Amino acid sequence: MIGFSFKWMSQFLVRSYGLSIRAALYFFKEYEYLDSRMADDKKKLSTADILAQARAQAIGAEDSAETPSAPEAPASPETPDAPVAPSAATPQSTSDILAAARAQSGGGDAKSEKPSGSAPKGTSDILAAARAQATAGGAPAGGGAAPKSTSDILAAARAQSGQGGGGEAAAPAAKKPAAKAAVPVSDLPPVKEMVEAMKSGKTTEEVKSGPVKPKIPTKPPKSPKPAPKAKEETRRNFLVALLVSPFALAWMLLTLTGGGFVLYVARFMMPNVLVEPPSKFKIGPPTDYGFGTVATKWKSQFGVWIVNTDYNGRKMIYALASVCTHLGCTPNWLGGEQKFKCPCHGSGFYITGINFEGPAPRPLERVGIALGSDGMLEVDKSVKFQEELGQWNDSASFVEV
Amino acid sequence: MLDTHPDLTSDVIFGLGWLYTILFLMNIGWTLRAYNLKLENKFLSGLAGSHIPSASVWAIYSGVLMMTALAHFTGSSSPESFVVRMPGFLKAGVDWFADPVRYFCLSIGLFVGVVMLRKQLVKPTVAWSLLNLSILFLGLSMTDYDFRLIVGKPDNVPIVGMLFILAFFTWLYFKRAVDNDQRIKDGRPLFEQEKNDKILVWPDLVYSELICMIALTAFLVLWGIALQAPLEEAANAAATPNPSKAPWYFLGLQEMLVYFDPWLAGVVLPSLILVGLAVIPYIDFNKRGNGYYSYEERKFAVLTFLFGFLPLWVAMIVLGTFLRGPNWNVFGIYEYWDVHKLEAANNKNLSDFFWLYWPTGEMLGGMPKYNPQGSAAEMVIAILVREWLGIVLVLGYFMVSPIIMALTVFRKFYVKMGFIRYMIMANLLLWMAALPIKMVLRWTVSLKYIVAIPEYFFNI
Repeated sequence: MIGFSFKWMSQFLVRSYGLSIRAALYFFKEYEYLDSRMADDKKKLSTADILAQARAQAIGAEDSAETPSAPEAPASPETPDAPVAPSAATPQSTSDILAAARAQSGGGDAKSEKPSGSAPKGTSDILAAARAQATAGGAPAGGGAAPKSTSDILAAARAQSGQGGGGEAAAPAAKKPAAKAAVPVSDLPPVKEMVEAMKSGKTTEEVKSGPVKPKIPTKPPKSPKPAPKAKEETRRNFLVALLVSPFALAWMLLTLTGGGFVLYVARFMMPNVLVEPPSKFKIGPPTDYGFGTVATKWKSQFGVWIVNTDYNGRKMIYALASVCTHLGCTPNWLGGEQKFKCPCHGSGFYITGINFEGPAPRPLERVGIALGSDGMLEVDKSVKFQEELGQWNDSASFVEV
Repeated sequence: MLDTHPDLTSDVIFGLGWLYTILFLMNIGWTLRAYNLKLENKFLSGLAGSHIPSASVWAIYSGVLMMTALAHFTGSSSPESFVVRMPGFLKAGVDWFADPVRYFCLSIGLFVGVVMLRKQLVKPTVAWSLLNLSILFLGLSMTDYDFRLIVGKPDNVPIVGMLFILAFFTWLYFKRAVDNDQRIKDGRPLFEQEKNDKILVWPDLVYSELICMIALTAFLVLWGIALQAPLEEAANAAATPNPSKAPWYFLGLQEMLVYFDPWLAGVVLPSLILVGLAVIPYIDFNKRGNGYYSYEERKFAVLTFLFGFLPLWVAMIVLGTFLRGPNWNVFGIYEYWDVHKLEAANNKNLSDFFWLYWPTGEMLGGMPKYNPQGSAAEMVIAILVREWLGIVLVLGYFMVSPIIMALTVFRKFYVKMGFIRYMIMANLLLWMAALPIKMVLRWTVSLKYIVAIPEYFFNI
């Protein structure tokens, strides 16, 4: 019966685990779907995406943006080499783009388009410049808070790419930032400027001027948000509730199963039938145990030695449990040395059971012994008598002879 | 008369013939190396006053080995009269160390010797000679019945092998460390920088690993076929085997259990070993020796680890494996395992000393007693009074000695490590030192427990 229940429970556990895993998978799939709906976009723009687009753009600029950039190049005589290099080759890697950005921003400064005096040297400079620009430009136009970190800018860029392009006012603005890129050199948009352009499309138009080229494919308008969002909100709540409830159910079931399992274990500790030697057993008359001897004949069956010796001046028979008090090994009685000796760590006990050598911290334990009305000695292993607690004086721990 | 414990049988002699053959072949290789390198035996050259190549010495030695091997292959008709065997005085000399105190001193001495003589030991000739000596010692010892019995046990064969591996890796460490120490001293680049033989993980390393895996598997299969598994009869709660030994890797723990209470030696100390090893990177403030072998730059770390590992762990395993016999008595490796060997191990607790053996007990009116049927508070107070000295000593050991160490030997450490890291390190060190301290106390004054409270199963 126990075996059956155990099997059933284990199967149930396994199944509920499987169920919860399936539910989790379903949930995450659904969540992804919801997320994509909320973003109202095919996918989020990651940095890598932006870079890839920038590259594609750069290649496309060679032919499509030829016209706007062509008149621009001669218009900047201060940077004679600028138009040559970028138009020669399309940038291949992020580092190329960054390098170009540096060169470009240097060139841009030379034309004193920006208020900042010195040419930015590193990426951090460019980023700082971009931020400064964003704050400067964004304040009048958008009035929004200035982005603080690169991640802000990127996040903003993503949001922008999603919604910025479609707005009525944003439509031209989205094209403007490209102009900024196109101004100093022909076609190459520096990453930071591009990112920043996407971030605050309408802000840069004041700063930059020039032909227009859309950098990022514009998306359907996102701005009229409130109405659909509220709708989604409720739908989402409903879906989440629908999806979470299996979890709650699974956990509840798991808790219940676990609780039942624990109870069963507790029940297991109190068996109906004990298949072990009785704790009370007769060992024959006292005359079987001569004075000064240790009877080892009950050791293998019951785990006791019957000793007949002198203890504190009284001749008595007592039963010692054959369990070492150090770590529970079974010592051996060595008649020649008149001692119990443990084979595990060398603890030694006198015939009285008192520990005297090795690591055993206390004497062997006595078990109950009594002389029955039939003249037979009866050992009771259910009671223990420890010397260090003074229990050896208990009359149930020995039989005087 | 049939000798049931023959020191030598024709099988043993024949087997030893193979051992000497292998040793002979190894030394032929060594002779060729010496010849190719045109090495000179400086000692003998100085003695003879002329150039004596090293190869000639090794060649003569190899020749002797070959003759020995041949003698073993041919002279097995009358095993008892075979002359190549361990001489009695050597046996007696080795067995003299079969005593915990002497053995412990020997292991400490070896440890110190290895560290002190590291510059000599790392020389190839010295290392090779030591390897030869150890194999010869093993071969000669095999001519003893009791040695064969204990070392040839299928349980113990791998331990012998591992001792050689351990010796090799310790040697390798010292070789690299001594080399780098010299390089640092001379201002030359480190071995790891100069001989930078970086290879690719794939395929170079992975292939080597694959080959090693296959070779090792084949070796294990062969081993499994050749040596029978050391299975015993069905377990019987009433009959503990005598001696009852833990698996080899726990024999260090079992040895600790001889000196400590089970909860300490079986729970606290193993946990501390694991935790202590895990915190080494966090308490190690020495930035040098990172990524290269070095002894001089990491003296404290190396010595502490090696002390804990070699004398306190490996030597304990060796003691438990080869020297512990019936009733957990210590037996020499050539000694017969006599179940009735008597070894006085009459141990006393510190409280026994204080209240029963020293005059202090009489002065204070005898060991405090309590009525077992009395209240618990009375019992606890009586126990605390009885064990006060041990409790004070233990508390002082763990609480006062870190402060003393911080003010004296570990002054710089304390400054560099800060309070918490220093306290962790100091306590780990103290726990490590507790084992040898307790062992020495047990051997010298038969001290059983410093704090003995059997009433609550609490003993230190």
